[in-house]
Parts: sequence; structure tokens; C-alpha cells
Amino acid sequence: MKSSPDPAMSVLLGASTAPSGSSAASPGTSTAPPDAQAPLAVAPERGAWTLSPPENASAYGDRIDALLARSHGFDLALAAVMLGWMLVAVVRFRGARTVAPDGGTRRSRAWVLGLALGVFGVVDGTLFLGSEGYLRDVLWNFRVPAEDPRTVRIEINAHQWSWEARYAGGDGTFGTKDDVVTWNDLRVPAGVPVWVQLVSTDVVHGFSLPAFRVKLDAIPGRVNQTWFQAAREGAWEVACYQHCGTSHYRMRGMLSAMTPEAYASWLHEAGRQAVQAYDADDAAAHWGWAWRTP
Amino acid sequence: MKPGAFLKALGASLWTTDPQRVAKQYLWGGFLFLLVGGLLAMLIRFQWAWPGQPVPGLAWALPESKGALTPPAYTAVFTMHGLLMIFFAVTPLLFGALGHFVLPLAIGSPRMAFPRLSAFGFWAYAVGGALMLASFGVRLGAASAGWTSYPPLSTPAFTPGLGQTLVTVAVLCVGVSAFLYGLNFVVTVVRCRAPGMTWGRLPLVVWGLFYGAVLNVLFVPVLAAATGLLLLDRVAGTQFFIAGAAAVGGGGDPVVYQHLFWLFGHPEVYILILPAWGMVGDFVAFFSRKPAHGYRLTAGAMGAVTALSGAVYAHHLFTSGMAPVLGRTFMILTLLISLPAEVMFLNWLMTLWRGSVRLTSPMLAALATMIVFGLGGITGLALGAVATDVPLHGTMWVVGHFHLTMGAASFLAVFAGLYFWFPRLYGRTLHEGLAKAHVVSSAVLFIAVFGGQLVAGYAGQLRRLYDPYQYTFLEHLLTLNRWTSWAAFLLGAAQLLFVVNLVRTLKWGRASESNPWQVGTLEWTDAGPAPVVLRGPHELSQPEVQRQLGRDWIGQAEPLPEEVPAVVPSAKVEVAV
Repeated sequence: MKSSPDPAMSVLLGASTAPSGSSAASPGTSTAPPDAQAPLAVAPERGAWTLSPPENASAYGDRIDALLARSHGFDLALAAVMLGWMLVAVVRFRGARTVAPDGGTRRSRAWVLGLALGVFGVVDGTLFLGSEGYLRDVLWNFRVPAEDPRTVRIEINAHQWSWEARYAGGDGTFGTKDDVVTWNDLRVPAGVPVWVQLVSTDVVHGFSLPAFRVKLDAIPGRVNQTWFQAAREGAWEVACYQHCGTSHYRMRGMLSAMTPEAYASWLHEAGRQAVQAYDADDAAAHWGWAWRTP
Repeated sequence: MKPGAFLKALGASLWTTDPQRVAKQYLWGGFLFLLVGGLLAMLIRFQWAWPGQPVPGLAWALPESKGALTPPAYTAVFTMHGLLMIFFAVTPLLFGALGHFVLPLAIGSPRMAFPRLSAFGFWAYAVGGALMLASFGVRLGAASAGWTSYPPLSTPAFTPGLGQTLVTVAVLCVGVSAFLYGLNFVVTVVRCRAPGMTWGRLPLVVWGLFYGAVLNVLFVPVLAAATGLLLLDRVAGTQFFIAGAAAVGGGGDPVVYQHLFWLFGHPEVYILILPAWGMVGDFVAFFSRKPAHGYRLTAGAMGAVTALSGAVYAHHLFTSGMAPVLGRTFMILTLLISLPAEVMFLNWLMTLWRGSVRLTSPMLAALATMIVFGLGGITGLALGAVATDVPLHGTMWVVGHFHLTMGAASFLAVFAGLYFWFPRLYGRTLHEGLAKAHVVSSAVLFIAVFGGQLVAGYAGQLRRLYDPYQYTFLEHLLTLNRWTSWAAFLLGAAQLLFVVNLVRTLKWGRASESNPWQVGTLEWTDAGPAPVVLRGPHELSQPEVQRQLGRDWIGQAEPLPEEVPAVVPSAKVEVAV
């Protein structure tokens, strides 16, 4: 065994180091060449009262954010109509001396149906069409990562309580000696599709990249997949969104988006060290699978 | 008293088949668990405001941490909060208490179809509740796998200890209770209506209870199946829901549990809201002194929601890696269910219009229910579409949304019903000013608390985090969460307004009038042992009634003096039909 820290060894160390959480403690970090050191994630200055989603670092996140903003516009409009109507009715008709003693007329009931259909058509229709477009073009469109020769493929294995990520290494094949494995430390090139396949070793976890509008369950017994693309370089957090036990709240990782060159040199160096540290007898470290094609 | 006679009297008071007394049993049980669940909520709010700090006054329960919540204690607290509130507080209050009380009276039946099922159901609930409370005292603590109890986390491999098992059995017990009163209500409404009480003359609250009962009968067995299989995994070594990692393969499938659970779980949120909708529909009409607008449309819309409720559940699983065809189908069905809800809501608003609005305590509670339900409903729209669900999934946005609908709306509806029927239930008059203060302060604080959660969720705060501020991107939310927590503590304190009112009234309250709200439904208008129903539930402000009786209401079974010969035969014809 080599004594220098390297990604493959981090698999072995991981059992003890992983629960402590942050990328700073992750052995994988130290293998990065200096020029690839991504800045630490810094929460942008935001007031506690601003109704804003997390920073967007995804190449496609604007579409979701715009749809969400539109849905909030609808929320506000509907709430205003509801409250306004109630307020006017209560103020105007409180203790009124005359009452319309009927359960509505054909016309008023038709108005109710028409108004409901109109609101339904506009609000639900907008949400449906906007959502459908995003699903077709981005979220469920795996042709983008499948057809792009630059696509980076990552296998992620969720544990109580850490994210173990596997890269195919120089040979492009998973489950070989040069697989690069990191703990709570995802590295991707900016501007390139990243295709993630996801499993869990123990309980159900939730893989989320809040800055990328990505969420996917990690479920024992099945391989789930998603993809995203970083719009720029930087570092953002990986979070677990499914209750997975006592230390659920510490299942935090970092994702660093690097320049493609820095990413390539990191992967090359990490793969070289992985080959040196490879231990054929360590069955627990060989959890990778042949990449699933959809 | 001789010991034998005492035991007999005790047995008679504990085992009762009288729906009114069963209702009171459920009422006190529901209050007990509302208190426990509410106190647990305060602990969760404390933790999000001062993570890991000692909770004042909690050192007796957690001596090792000097009263601070530890991560295992915190997971048990939010798990038990959810289970207690849903299964042991709100559902029993709506169905067990208000349902048993009002359903037979409102349809003119002296008893439930199966009186002994009522008694047995309560005791199944009581046993379940005792197991829930007992689970706090066992080694390794109470259940901690979330109220959803997703395996494999909820299996002994990841949550060992007797607590999780006791709670699994408790959920089965309360499932027996919910199934039994569901069955009882359905048969009672179908078979035991008084002559002339046609489906079109049912008060809307009976429609709500009926539809909710149908959902209980259909979907509680699904919960029992999922929970039963989980129990076998826990105690009998089966592997229905335990799978190896994908890399290893083999075993059962945890996703099957998720589908079974939500096939029950989504109808359950309608079970919790349908009786509330019914009460709002009735009370808005009663206190606008006019018939409900579009009665048939409203009842039909509630039926449409009931019919669709089992077909939308998989929006809870949009991020589970479902096939796109399923995701699209459930997205369309979920968006579709908002249409009947809009029809119903607009009918309520139309009922207010051109009425004579009286802001009594039940009316204020009904209006507050409308507001919080409306806010909860519209904030759920974004969760029904897959693309917008993804960023919000598993965040505090979801928590705020469902607390507004099945938490705040159901809670306020319980109090609308309680303030409305209390004079009939206990024969005494609550203090109206205290009741109004309780309703208004609760509604405002509910909106503050769950609104704060919506904001935190939109900013990305994930659910069920012991310390959300471990994440850099959530650090800035501490201030917001502290304010939200203060609102929650105030909300808890505001409940004292009700407690004071209740104690004061039970002890010194003056006797109530026989029909204090001046409405015509059968529970208020004593129509004798065999009433013949002549008209709908909201026949208020009718000119002919005002001319003949000099008041704006008439009992559902009360003949108009000048029309006796004309009306009764027609009612008999309807009975024959």
C-alpha cells in the first residue's frame, strides 16, 4: 500500500472519514493540481426575507426558475382574488338586511364552472406545457448526454452518510483498475453534459444538487439516472433530501466545476494513482457496474 | 359502591355503543394526542432556531444531553409528530369525534349502523395510542424512520429497537379503527337516513364525512398491507422491502412500499380535508343566511376529488426514477384534481355573495379554513408539475404546503365544528369572544409559521435536517427560521385561549339555547324520534317561511303550517323512490 493519499485509497479510508462530511476532509481533494482548486462555496449575500431559490449554476436552470416564478405569479394572483373576494363579501354583506334566498341561478352556476375552467386552463395549462417542454428538452432527454462525445459519466453510490463517486478513468470503462473513486467530492468540467447513474448501498437517499435543480432518489436495488450541465466554474453543495437516518443532515458533499483542461489533468493523475493503489482482493471497493444505456 | 358494581359502571362508561359518547371518547383522545404532537412540533421549531442547544425544561427527558435534542432524538421527534398528528389527533377528531357526533343526528338516525363497531374502533384506536406513547419509553427510543417509514431505513437493519416495531403495530391498530368507522359511516349514510332525507338533502358535512369514509374503506387496507409486510420484515425475517445494493442485487424492492404507502397516503390527505370542506360549505351557507350556492356542483366536486384521489398519488414519487410515461400520467391527473377544487371554492365564495354574513366563531373558523386551504392549494400547483416539483421536492416548501392544507385547514375545521356543535354536544355555551380570539390568532399564526416554511423551502431548505445550517447555501435562513419558530411558539400559546374557554365553560358555562345558530339541520331541530325530512339543509331566508313563521330558518323536517297537506305526501313519494 502506498502511503500517499489517493482517490482509490479513499475507498478504504472512507468508512471512517466519510461521515465527517465536508470536502475539505475528503482525501480526494489533495490530489487536485493547484490550478484546479475551485473556490469554496460562499453563500451569496442574500437577505433572509428574499423569496429566491438557491443560486443557479445549471446551463438549463433558468427555464425551471422562470416557470417557478410564473407559478408564483399565479399563486399571488389567485391568493389576491380569493382574499379580495372574501374581504369585499364580508364587509359589504355583513349583517345585510336583504338576502338572495336561492342556491344560485343557472347563469351564476355556469359562471362558476366557466371561471373554474378558465383558471384551470390558464394556470394548470401553463404549468403543464412549461413542465412538458422542460422534460422533453432537458430532464428526460438523455439524447443530449448520449450524443455528446464530451459527456462525463459518473456512477454514484450513496451510503449512510456520504456520496461515493466513480469515474471510468482513462479507459472509459467502469469496473477497471483505473476507476477513480472520490468521497463527497464530485468533479466535473464546466460546459459539458454530466450523466449520473445512481444507486444506494443501504437505505433510500436523495441525491440533490440545489444549484443545478437536480434531484433523484438513490434506491437500493435499482439504477436511476439523471444529467446536468454546469454553466460555469465554481463549487456548490451536494445535499441529501431523503431522511436516511440520524446523520442525514451531514450527508453533504461538494461539486466542483472545473475548466475541461483542469478536469482532464485531474482525472489523468487520479487514474494513475488509482492503478497504483488497486487492490484486487478488496471486494467492497469493486461496486461499479457496466454503464447502463437507456 | 360495591367493587362489583363499580367495575360494572366503569365498564359501561368505557365500553359504550352510543355514538355521542363514543364521540366524546374520541374528542378527549384526540385532544391528548394533539397536545403531545403539538409539543413535539415546538421541539422541532426550537431545534431549527437554536440547533443542538438545550431545550429549557427538557433535561428530565434527555439527561445525557442536558435537554438538547440529539440527532437520534430529533429524528424520533419529527417522526412521532407526523404520525401522532395525522393518525391519532386530526383524523380521530374529524371522524371519530365530530363524525360520530353529527353524522347520525344530521341524517335523522338514532344510532350508527353498527354500534358495537364504533366501540371496538375506539378501543383499537386507544390501544394504538397507548403503544405510541409507550414507544417513547423503550430502549433506543420511539420510531425514527419518518412518518412515511420508508424501508430499508425502517427495517431492523437500520432502525433497530422495539420503538419502531411498537409504532408499526400502533399504525395497524389505528388503521383498524379508521377502517371500522369508515365502514360504519358508509353503511349508516346509505341505510339509516330518515324518510325524506334524500341524497340531495344531506348537509354538505355529511357528504364530506361520507366521501372520506369511502376513502377510508378503500385505502386504509392498502396502508395495512404495506405496514403489515413491513412488520413481517421487522419481526419475522422476511425481505419484502429489503434489497441489496444494485451492485449486489437480489432481495425485495423498497419501491413497492413507496407505491403502496402513497396509494394510501395521498387519499389520506383528502380523508383529512373532505369533512373540513363539508363543514365550510355548510357553515358559509348558515352564516350567510342563504342556501349554499351550487349545492349539487359542490357535492359533485367533492365526489370528483374523491374519485380522483387514488389516481394522483405518484406525484410523491416524481424523483424516484419513474418511467416518463408514468410521470406524465400522474402529472396530468394531479393537475386535473385542481379543477373540482376550484369549482367548490368558487361556490363557497358565491355563497357569501348577496348573503347576510354573520361573523360568529364557527363562521370565522370556516373562513379561516378557506383561506389556509386556498393558500395550501395554490402552493401545491407547482408540486403537481414534474419540472417545478424537482427543485421543490423534499424541501420545506412541501412541508409548508401540506401543513397549510391537512394541518392548518383541518385543524381550523375541527374548531369550526367544535365551536358550532359544542352547545349541542355539552349543552353549554362557550365564550364567544375567547373562541373568536382563538380562531383569528390561530389562523394568522398558522399563515406566519407555514408561510415561513414555504419561503425557507423555496430558498432550498431541505426537510428533516437536524441542523440545516451545515449547508452553506442554507446558512442565511437562520434568521427567517427563528422568526418562524417564534410564530410557532405563539401559535402554541394561543391554544390556551381554547383551553381556558373549555375549562371555564364545562365548569361554569351557562346552559345553551336549543338552536343557538338558528339553522334547520336535524341535529339542531328536535323533530321527534321519527322525523320525516321535507327539505334541504340550508333553506334559509325563504320568503314563505318568513311570512308564515316570522323567522329566517326552518327545520329540515318542520312542516310549514299552511302547506302540511301538500308537502308530506310528496315526501312520502320520495321515500318510496
